[in-house]
Amino acid sequence: MKADQPRDQTLGWLALNPLTVKKWQRFRSIKRGYYSAIILAVALVASLGAELLVNSRALIVYYEGTVAFPTYGDVIPGRAFGLDYDYETDYRELKRRFAEQDEGDWVLMPPVAYDALENDLRADAYPPYPPSWSSGHYLGTDSTGRDVLARLVYGFRIAFGFAFLLLACNYLLGIALGSAMGFWGGAFDLLFQRVIEVFNMVPLLYVIMIVASIVVPTFWTLVGIMVIFNWTQMTWYMRTSTYREKSREYVLAARALGASNSRMIATHILPNAISVIVTFIPFSIATGIALLTALDYLGFGLPPPTPSWGEMLAEGTSHLESPWIVASVVVGMVLVLLMVNYIGEAVREAFDPKKFTYYE
Amino acid sequence: MTSYFVRRFLLIVPTFIGVTVLVFVLTRLVPGGPIERMLQEAAMAGGDFAEATSGYDGLGGSALSDDQIAELEAYYGFDKPVLVSYVEWLGKVLVLDLGTSTRYNDPVWDTIKERFPISIFYGVATLILTYGVCIPLGIVKAIRHKTAFDNVSSALVFFGYAIPNYVVGIGLLALFAAHLEWFPLGGFVSDDFYALSGFGKVVDVLWHATLPLLAYTAGSFAVMTMLMKNSLMDNLAAEYVRTAIAKGMNFRRAVFNHALRNSLIPIATSFGSNISLILTGSFLIEKIFNIDGFGLLGFESLVERDYPVVMGILVISALLFLIGNILSDICVALVDPRVRFGSGESAQ
Repeated sequence: MKADQPRDQTLGWLALNPLTVKKWQRFRSIKRGYYSAIILAVALVASLGAELLVNSRALIVYYEGTVAFPTYGDVIPGRAFGLDYDYETDYRELKRRFAEQDEGDWVLMPPVAYDALENDLRADAYPPYPPSWSSGHYLGTDSTGRDVLARLVYGFRIAFGFAFLLLACNYLLGIALGSAMGFWGGAFDLLFQRVIEVFNMVPLLYVIMIVASIVVPTFWTLVGIMVIFNWTQMTWYMRTSTYREKSREYVLAARALGASNSRMIATHILPNAISVIVTFIPFSIATGIALLTALDYLGFGLPPPTPSWGEMLAEGTSHLESPWIVASVVVGMVLVLLMVNYIGEAVREAFDPKKFTYYE
Repeated sequence: MTSYFVRRFLLIVPTFIGVTVLVFVLTRLVPGGPIERMLQEAAMAGGDFAEATSGYDGLGGSALSDDQIAELEAYYGFDKPVLVSYVEWLGKVLVLDLGTSTRYNDPVWDTIKERFPISIFYGVATLILTYGVCIPLGIVKAIRHKTAFDNVSSALVFFGYAIPNYVVGIGLLALFAAHLEWFPLGGFVSDDFYALSGFGKVVDVLWHATLPLLAYTAGSFAVMTMLMKNSLMDNLAAEYVRTAIAKGMNFRRAVFNHALRNSLIPIATSFGSNISLILTGSFLIEKIFNIDGFGLLGFESLVERDYPVVMGILVISALLFLIGNILSDICVALVDPRVRFGSGESAQ
């Protein structure tokens, strides 16, 4: 590569090798993938601070000259703001009250003033309530009066958290085991080949359901169960690509120079073998989300009342007369999964531009 | 070659044992096995399923005495060590005795058998639709690469690829069944099915089948179409097609007589997996559309903790899956004379 190769500004500090820069530029040139990546990244970062955007707690309360920030931290009892109860302040009520009193006190609520777990019950109507601008339920509520938008946002965070965690576990296990299998081969390889064969023959969703029906999963046990049945794919890819890389000349050269096994794997084979794996990441994320949602939909996933897309799908299909529930979730999922797959498509294209010869 | 397939069939045995041991042991070793669950559910009789799954808080106020529990355990074979009861269970499976459903008190095999016609109907229909749409579509997309038709259909294919089929199913159900009321909300046939005339019956079944079939097809359609397109394009770019065209053969014949035959090979590699698709369907779609097939039976028996049926379904789907894989290999060997299994293959 020439020294005056135009380096990408945003990633310059990483001192990337020219090949990676080229991949990055190719990725950027695929517009829908690139913009999807930006939108999703912003959404993910925003969802980390979802408490500031979607919450029943106020952002700022100004009361008698003092300012309080109730979002994070301990529960502030109603008495602290001159109300007559000791349980947590109802900030929406407080806001109304301050507005009526008109004494210069004020409350700043988040854009969506409802929490994912809170049941908004009214005396004069039964949930599900349709979307309404005045009540602040922009996408309506579900059948127990929980805000659909709030559950959608927190469900988004949980789904992605779950998918990333699953990805990390699967890839760590897969890379470690796969490169060991590919590098050493022999009896070790054969043994795990048979093990993988067995795991691949298991009807995945069904067996996860069987196990989940027995253990009653929490977030962490569910990740564990999924990893037990999901690690094989990445292991197999890693095995194959390590196997391939191992027979290349540069590995032979490294061996001839006296490199130890661990050095050969870590500094020579892994960087080359992993570049294939990177292109799978977005699709693994999409699979993780789809799997978790399917399990939740069937009732074998995260325990209620965790906000989850699958639970909302189930809620929506059993309350089809309230179409806002099912419509919100389906549209949300379609958008997110489309974006994830656009990114995946662009990443793959960036790593391996396919050029076909074709006849006009 | 024959010896290779014989070996493959023999290899079903250890793999099958592996799969069932895995699940069998899992169902036994985790705390709160079926009996405890049953007791807990008996204790909160009337409590709905959502509550029953939401938390396990010990056996407080168990309705059964210790003797009765021991009796129950003996009935289900839980009183013996895991491996002993596994061997007993396997012995029964070998003589085709899958046990008795705890929910219906019928033999498991009969319960499962009842569901086959519906699952086979959907399986075969999906199969025909998928191949009937994907192969022609893939061919057209490959020939008209980068035209408006290709781009528009690519968007559709991409959508089908990105969105899991159950989300498609729920979307279709909400839009076309609940909102527009063009199609029924679920089920296999209407309540008054037996009163309908012969033609009316056919229409009724198709009317109920439209949305589920669309959802089923949406899943497999994308992968298959792109497989067909890419493999045909690879072949069109190959030297032998260029040679054929250079020698004056017209394009149409070059495609259909030469390139197409070779590009059907990758399609054949996945053909065997259809056998399990045909019979086992999908839990999700059957649940969404309330179709009384194999998948819904599996789901219901899990919810009801009818473990003999759960294990029976596992046995059948695992077997079908194993056989399907071998069938795929046979298909590949049939369509591709270059493939010679068994000589120096590295257990891929």
